[in-house]
Amino acid sequence: MLRKNGGRNQLRANLIFIAIGIVLFLVSNRVDELRVYQGATVAVYVVAISSIILLTGYSGQISLGHGALMAVGGYAAVLSRNDWHAPVWLSFVVAVLAAALFGAILGVAAGRLSGPYLAGTTLALAVGLPSLANQFSVLGGEQGLNYDVGQPPLSLGQDFTQYHWYFWIAGLAALVMTWLVHNVLGSRYGRNWRAARSNPTAAALAGIHIGRSKILAFTISAGIAGLAGALLAMTLSLVTPSAFPLALSFAIVTGAVLAGVTLLTGSIVGAVVLVAIPELTDALATHLGGSERVTANLPGLMMSALLIVSVLFFPNGPRLFRR
Amino acid sequence: MERFINTILIGISGGSIYGLMALALVLVWRSTRVVNFAQAGQAILSTYIGYVVISHTNNYWLAFPVAVISGALIGALVDILLIRIMVKRAHQGPVAAIAPVIATLGLLGLIRAVVGLIWGGDLRQFKLPVTNHGFTFGHTTIPFAPINLLIVVITFLVMLIFALIFQRTNLGLALRASAYQPEIARLSGIRVDLTRTIGWAFAGSAGAIAGILVTPTNYLAPNSLDLLLVSGFVAAVIGGLESLVGAAVGGLILGIGLAFVLEYVSSSLAFPAAFMVLIAVLLVKPAGLIGSKRSRNA
Repeated sequence: MLRKNGGRNQLRANLIFIAIGIVLFLVSNRVDELRVYQGATVAVYVVAISSIILLTGYSGQISLGHGALMAVGGYAAVLSRNDWHAPVWLSFVVAVLAAALFGAILGVAAGRLSGPYLAGTTLALAVGLPSLANQFSVLGGEQGLNYDVGQPPLSLGQDFTQYHWYFWIAGLAALVMTWLVHNVLGSRYGRNWRAARSNPTAAALAGIHIGRSKILAFTISAGIAGLAGALLAMTLSLVTPSAFPLALSFAIVTGAVLAGVTLLTGSIVGAVVLVAIPELTDALATHLGGSERVTANLPGLMMSALLIVSVLFFPNGPRLFRR
Repeated sequence: MERFINTILIGISGGSIYGLMALALVLVWRSTRVVNFAQAGQAILSTYIGYVVISHTNNYWLAFPVAVISGALIGALVDILLIRIMVKRAHQGPVAAIAPVIATLGLLGLIRAVVGLIWGGDLRQFKLPVTNHGFTFGHTTIPFAPINLLIVVITFLVMLIFALIFQRTNLGLALRASAYQPEIARLSGIRVDLTRTIGWAFAGSAGAIAGILVTPTNYLAPNSLDLLLVSGFVAAVIGGLESLVGAAVGGLILGIGLAFVLEYVSSSLAFPAAFMVLIAVLLVKPAGLIGSKRSRNA
């Protein structure tokens, strides 16, 4: 799949990203606080889902443990900020690097594993890793650690709230990350991953080092997940083991599948769905006069049902976005 | 020396449960080439059904067969309602390779949400069928209690029954044939789809036994078997994911290994230790300690 006039496409894509960014920032000033906060959460999910799209949709590997990698990123960001007083942007960089390093180690094992083995191994990670934080006092145990990205600069005006600030940071990070991932996927590496996924033997004959290419994909994907973890820690203003439950790992895989794992632009759709489902089920539960039991479980029910339906009936993603 | 033997005994008891869960995963993997992540969900649902029986009759020994039978029924239903459709529909496209993982994962979430809707999220205690107060010899009381002995004995019996079914009956032959060569099995008159559903039912009952055996020593909650799923997976991988004997041996190795880490090193290292074992086995001997070479790819 060689792209002709790739240069013009590239320019158009960049312009679209910039336009989306401007629209988002303008909209954020016109809606209420809750929506802004949800917007920040959508941005966090966009970053997390794009890491799965890169890994699963392009490199053909699966991870049920990206919640754990997000935890690595979140804790790294918090520790670097609290202990070394790193500026916010630097703590994000530290998050990306820490998670990428962790992902590289994992990727060495992952590159040699096929589907179900990899799924099981990463699942083990998602179940066990966050709870490790309880056992080291430096990680703050069950209470976790506070993460303070500071007040928004005064130059943005008096009524510019903390949530707006979160949204701006997360939204900018999501845009930059999506743009970067878009470029990586269009690069030599992206093509290598797709070749190695669809026909490993042919790809190897064409000179692609399958193992190395898989490890690289896992490392990059882990780094992106690390950033998502740091952003999540920011919106929660703390990190705790319970902020990165197994359900988080499942949620981002669900978002990626709903987005049709091979399409980066689907990440925004998946992210919006992930944020919208609890909102919808809350409304539904109140409408039904439901107890706390209903409110707690309806989102999971909806999400799992959507996941099953989409994998059974739309295995290639919603027809709407298919190219 | 005494401490050493105690650790081994506790390890055998824990490893039996891992082995049962591994058995459930292996049975499904052999017949369908799916690692059934929903097994934790199926097992928790049948354990809750057993819990209902216990809370009404106050009788563990009535709850046990009820849980096992519902586990088998749930397993068969999962195969008929979900897996057959999935195998038929999701066989191409970028998602095909991961479709089984996604589908069983979705099912796990679905069952867990349903369990939460019906029974709520609070932790529940099970009545112990026998005491968890350790055996006493003279003046010393060891950690190994009648409940642990019960777990080991029942696991042994279950393994024995499965071994007899697989080695000595026509059904077992059909199960092995459909797993090994589905096409040829079909040609020789075996109803492969039905046989596979029976395999899922067996797996479901093995998972249910693991659930209802481990819960009295622990607590019951919608996610209380998640760790067991992971341990079962590690045990199954140690055993090669293909072999029933491997599942049992893998469970014992993992159980005893973890018991030693907990007893002699540190109780906070149980998870990292299990994870290291998993990675080490996958990197050094990917086919498992007992297992054929071809098991990795598929």
